Amino acid sequence: MPRAIWSGSISFGLVNIPVQLFNAVSRKSVRFNQIDSRNNARIRMKKTNAESGEDVPDDVIVKGYELSKGNYVLLSEDELAALDPESQRTIDIEEFVDLADIDPVYFDASYHLSPDPATVKAYALLARTMEQAGKVGISRFVMRQKQYLAAIRPVDGHLVLSTLVYEDEGNGVDDVPELDKVSEVDVSAKELEMAEQLVDSLAGTWEPEKYSDTYREQVMEMIEAKAAGDTDFVVATEAPPREKVVDLMAALEASVKDAKEARGRHPTSGEAETKKKPARKAPAKKKSA
Amino acid sequence: MPVVEIDGRELSVTNLDKVLYPDGFTKAEVIDYYVRVAPAMLPHVQGRVVTLRRYPNGVDGTSFFEKRSPDHRPDWIGTALGPGDRKGGIQYLVIDEVATLAWVGNMAALEVHAPMARAVDIDAPTMVVFDLDPGAPATIVDCCRVALEIQDVLADLDLQIWPKTSGSKGMQLYLPLNTPHTHEHASSFALAVAQILEKQDPKRVTSVMKKQLRKGKIFVDWSQNSHHKTTIAAYSLRARPTPTVSTPISWDEVQSGADGEVLSFTAPEVLERVADFGDVFAPTATLEQELPTPRS
Repeated sequence: MPRAIWSGSISFGLVNIPVQLFNAVSRKSVRFNQIDSRNNARIRMKKTNAESGEDVPDDVIVKGYELSKGNYVLLSEDELAALDPESQRTIDIEEFVDLADIDPVYFDASYHLSPDPATVKAYALLARTMEQAGKVGISRFVMRQKQYLAAIRPVDGHLVLSTLVYEDEGNGVDDVPELDKVSEVDVSAKELEMAEQLVDSLAGTWEPEKYSDTYREQVMEMIEAKAAGDTDFVVATEAPPREKVVDLMAALEASVKDAKEARGRHPTSGEAETKKKPARKAPAKKKSA
Repeated sequence: MPVVEIDGRELSVTNLDKVLYPDGFTKAEVIDYYVRVAPAMLPHVQGRVVTLRRYPNGVDGTSFFEKRSPDHRPDWIGTALGPGDRKGGIQYLVIDEVATLAWVGNMAALEVHAPMARAVDIDAPTMVVFDLDPGAPATIVDCCRVALEIQDVLADLDLQIWPKTSGSKGMQLYLPLNTPHTHEHASSFALAVAQILEKQDPKRVTSVMKKQLRKGKIFVDWSQNSHHKTTIAAYSLRARPTPTVSTPISWDEVQSGADGEVLSFTAPEVLERVADFGDVFAPTATLEQELPTPRS
C-alpha cells in the first residue's frame, strides 16, 4: 500500500474529519540515468560560478530574482522561511460549487482522501451528502510549505482531492494571438451539419483503459531486447542497394507541375492567385535596395 | 526512393507529391524552392550551425526542432560543433551547398534557423539582430514604424542595417559586423537600442520579454543575440498556411509597410524578386562595421 503523503483533517463549519492524502496517480514515463559512454560511469552535476568557473559550495548559494537584465534582488532562506505559510493541518472547505463550473484546465494533481478508522462515519456522511447535493468543496490547505487551492469531490462513495491552479497561473487566450481569428470565422449551417455528422460517426464512450503510452511501451521493449542481447535494435549503418541516379531538378519537374495544376483545379486557387498579384508589384517599386 | 543527383552530390528524395501546406504546396515544390533560392540564401547560412524545424506531416501536423544533425545523413553533408545542451556540445548540420538545401527540403525541414556566429568562431557574432515581435493587436505595420526609428538611431552612429520580414508576423533587422565582437557586446548594444526606443516611444515599444507587458507593443527582442539563440534564416520558408518566406526587403518597402502595404511574400514571389533584384541582403554577409565600445 502506498504511503500517505499528508495527514490532517477536513474542516468546515464546526465539523472536523481526520483524513490522509494518497497519490491518485503514479507517473510512468521511462526514467533514464545519464552515463558517460566512454566508461559507463554515472554523470554528476556540479554547481560552478558563471564568472570564475570555480566550484560553488551549497552554503553560499542564495536565491536571486531577476528584476531586469543583470539586476537581482537576493533573498536568503531565512527571509523566505519567515513567509512560509503556517503549516496548519486542516483542509478548510470555504464553499461548495458545481463541478461543471470548474474548467478542466484548472485541475492539477489528484489525491485519494482516506478516513481515520475512528471517524469513518463522519467521512462517509460527508461523501454521501456531497454526492447527493452534486457539489464539490473548494478549499485551501498547506502541504510542503506551499499553499494549495483544492477541489474535494465525491467519487464512487469516497472523496478525491484535486489541487487546482490559481487563476493568475493560467495563461490567458490573449497570449495566443492566433485565437483572435477563430471567432471571426463564418460557418454555414450546412458545414456545421456535415461536421456534426463526422463527430457523430466517431462518437464513443470514454474508456480510459483503451489508451496506453505506446511510446513508453516501445522504449521498454527495446530496453528489454537490448538487455537480452538482441542486436536487431542496434542502429544499422545503411548500405542501400544502388539505384539509377537521375538529375534532381528533372525528378522534381513532373511533381512540381502536377502540384501547380492541382492547385489550379482546387477551389481555393482563386484566392491564391488574387493574393499573389498585389504583392508581385512590390519588388518593382524599389530600386534603391 | 529515387536517388537523384545535383551539383555532383547524390541523395534520395521521397514522397515528392506530399502536400505540406494547406494551399496544396508540395514537398517537390519545397525542394524546388530551396534549390532555386540557394544562390541567394547560401551566403547567409554557410558555415553556421543551423537548427531545423521539421514538419513531417505538413504545417498543420506536429513539428520538432532538430539541432543534432541526424545520423542517417549522406556522408558528404557537413556538420560542426555548436552550442551544446547539458550533455555537452552538439554536432549540428552546416548548409554549405545547394545539395544540402535539397536534402533539408526532403526532410520537410521547412524552417532553417541560424545563429549570429559562424561555427569556426562560435564566440564572435558576425551581426547584431533586432527581432521585432508584435504583441497583438500590434502588427507588422507597427514593426515597420519601429524599424524606421531604429534605422534613425543607428544612422546617428553611422551604422547601416538591413530589414527582412520574419515570414510570419514580425520582422528582423540585421546589423552586419564582420569584425571581432562578443555576444555580450552585441546583446548589450541591442538592449541599449531597445531601451532608447522604449524611452522615446513607451506606448509602442518594449524591451521586456514578459508577455503581459507586450500587448499592443513591439517587443524589440535583443536577447536573440545570445550565443545559443537562433533566428529564422533569410530566405527560409515558414510553416504558415501559405509558403511564406523570411524575405529581405528594402527600406522603401519598410516605409510602404509603415503606411499599410502588405509585406508578405510566398516562395514563388521571392524567386521572382531574387531574379529581378538579386540578393538585397548580400551586404549583411560582408560589410564590416564596429559597435561603439560600451562604457562601464
